[in-house]
Amino acid sequence: MQQRQSLPYVFLVPTMAILVVLAFVPMFYAIGVSLENRTLSSPDSHFVGLKNYLLLFGDSRFVNALWVSVKWELITVSATMIAAIGLGVLMFEAAGPKLRNALSLIFLIPVLLPRVCAAFVWKFAFHPLYGIITYPYRLITGQPLDMLSSPTQALFAVAFVDLWQWGFFFAVIVLKLIEILPQQPLEAARLDYAKPWQIHVYITLPMLRVPLVSLMFVKMIESLRSFDLIYVMTRGGPGTSTETLDMYAFSQGFIEAGKISYASSMAVIMMVATVVIFTVVWKRLKS
Amino acid sequence: MAEIVCHGVNKKYGAHEVIPNFDLRVAEHEFIVFLGPSGCGKSTILRMIAGLEAITGGEVSINGKIVNDLEPRDRGIAMVFQNYALYPHMTIYDNIAFGLRRLGVSAVEIDRRVGEVVDMLGLKPVIGNKPSELSGGQQQRVAIARAMIKTPEVFLFDEPLSNLDAKLRAQMRLEIARLHKNLKTTTVYVTHDQMEAMTLADRIVLLNAGRIEQVGTPEEIYARPASLFVAGFIGTPAMNLLPATVGENGTRLDGQGFSLPVTPGRYRLAEGQKVVFGLRPADLSRTSDAATAHALSGTVDMVEFHGDQVLVSFPLGAERISAFLPARHRPKEGDKVSFAYEAEAMHIFDAAAGHSLLHADN
Repeated sequence: MQQRQSLPYVFLVPTMAILVVLAFVPMFYAIGVSLENRTLSSPDSHFVGLKNYLLLFGDSRFVNALWVSVKWELITVSATMIAAIGLGVLMFEAAGPKLRNALSLIFLIPVLLPRVCAAFVWKFAFHPLYGIITYPYRLITGQPLDMLSSPTQALFAVAFVDLWQWGFFFAVIVLKLIEILPQQPLEAARLDYAKPWQIHVYITLPMLRVPLVSLMFVKMIESLRSFDLIYVMTRGGPGTSTETLDMYAFSQGFIEAGKISYASSMAVIMMVATVVIFTVVWKRLKS
Repeated sequence: MAEIVCHGVNKKYGAHEVIPNFDLRVAEHEFIVFLGPSGCGKSTILRMIAGLEAITGGEVSINGKIVNDLEPRDRGIAMVFQNYALYPHMTIYDNIAFGLRRLGVSAVEIDRRVGEVVDMLGLKPVIGNKPSELSGGQQQRVAIARAMIKTPEVFLFDEPLSNLDAKLRAQMRLEIARLHKNLKTTTVYVTHDQMEAMTLADRIVLLNAGRIEQVGTPEEIYARPASLFVAGFIGTPAMNLLPATVGENGTRLDGQGFSLPVTPGRYRLAEGQKVVFGLRPADLSRTSDAATAHALSGTVDMVEFHGDQVLVSFPLGAERISAFLPARHRPKEGDKVSFAYEAEAMHIFDAAAGHSLLHADN
């Protein structure tokens, strides 16, 4: 009896210990650092309380980064979900089983590519003089098109690459979700005067609400971690037009100023905001 | 109200032919039951009528209009599925109202009509619940309500009671019968349960391997099975079937352990013909006169208690004979018994072709 009760701990303790070491130690260390005035240039530092946090809200570049991050989340998550649902439903309605499987296989390729590779490939595709994406524009107007250097277009160009990587993959997941739904309610709807698009709007997608919400959360978390994609394609530029929070924190901490404490306070704010927002959204959407 | 006509309907999956050639006319107001073992194609035919399954060849018409290429929603039909097929995320009210909403019926009108069917089927207390909160019987009632509210020209039922327990099944069977009596909507009902078929049907279409074995009223099918398959399929307990050879100018049947007279002229028999001789267990009654012409004798080796009745069985040659008797007069195992039957109770089938040898005018 004693043995049986201790067995769960045998499995749980090492995992939890690793989790604590890898996640919680750096987290609490970052919180600690964010309350000091540590920099990379000088060895000594002291406790300054919430000074870093107060400074942040007067920092217009921080506010900009916050806004870019929010825009990035909204654009990539909504575009991916809309494209995935649209494409998944289209495949379900229009393609036979063989074509669906072939398409699924092809659609998995973008997400298998490491994001840095995808970023380089697309950076070249967006090249103003040699890129394949800008080729039609050059052909028609005779002018080069430099989307990645345009403050208004750069974020959308990078978001497009993100959509390319994840939209197809999620479309395959949506297709598979629709395929495993019980068919009878869909048949009942066909008899209940529903047109094909109405069947999806009123029956299949509501039936898939929980998995779709989960899928959206996966994408929300994934979008938060797009540092490498944005870094390779634009380095946050032009100016600060694609500089997300993690990128600004990185450049404050390691590239421009070496202000480790200042960067840590940004990381902490990001963490708190993420946890709060995700929890609220999750609770809202699940019920 | 509508008539359904199937003319030369044919269904193939690739090279595999499931329904070779199906002809049937369902009259207005009629309650037709497709009966057959699993895999006989009865659901496939129903789904072709519904438009959920493409028709490979032939014609289906409803109310005089050929519907082969019409969408299910344009055929004027409503269907009840075996596993209810309710919309799991909607309340019962929304489930029932769904079809009318798609038609653009006004909210007031929908409310009135939902109220009507809900009252008729006793669903009022659960109107705000989700399907998963209901029992199987209630869910099937919702499915029936959802079908009824559309006031269809044709009702299709695909094994609607198979997922319910025995008691509920009997109760729902009665409800469906009463519903049909009131609404008189043309109905096609698929089942593998002969009790459902017998009690509900105006006519039964008995199917085997995609072909019609027999079409007739329940009485006809029970009393005059057209083939060996029908004889073996219909009736609980199953008919006794014994191989025999026709002797003496078609006036006797000889088999292992018996030699019995046949009413002359009642059957188309040729001397030496191999036949199968059938007798329903309920047509046998105990007799003390073993010498009577229409009797089978043996030593009881099994007595199954069924309540009011017992099923007594004994070996005869290589086969077994069962008799359904009142429980009060049951013999014990090991008793020597004789069972008499009426000459008209004899069913005789051609052993090779399987068809009944009874003369048509009998």
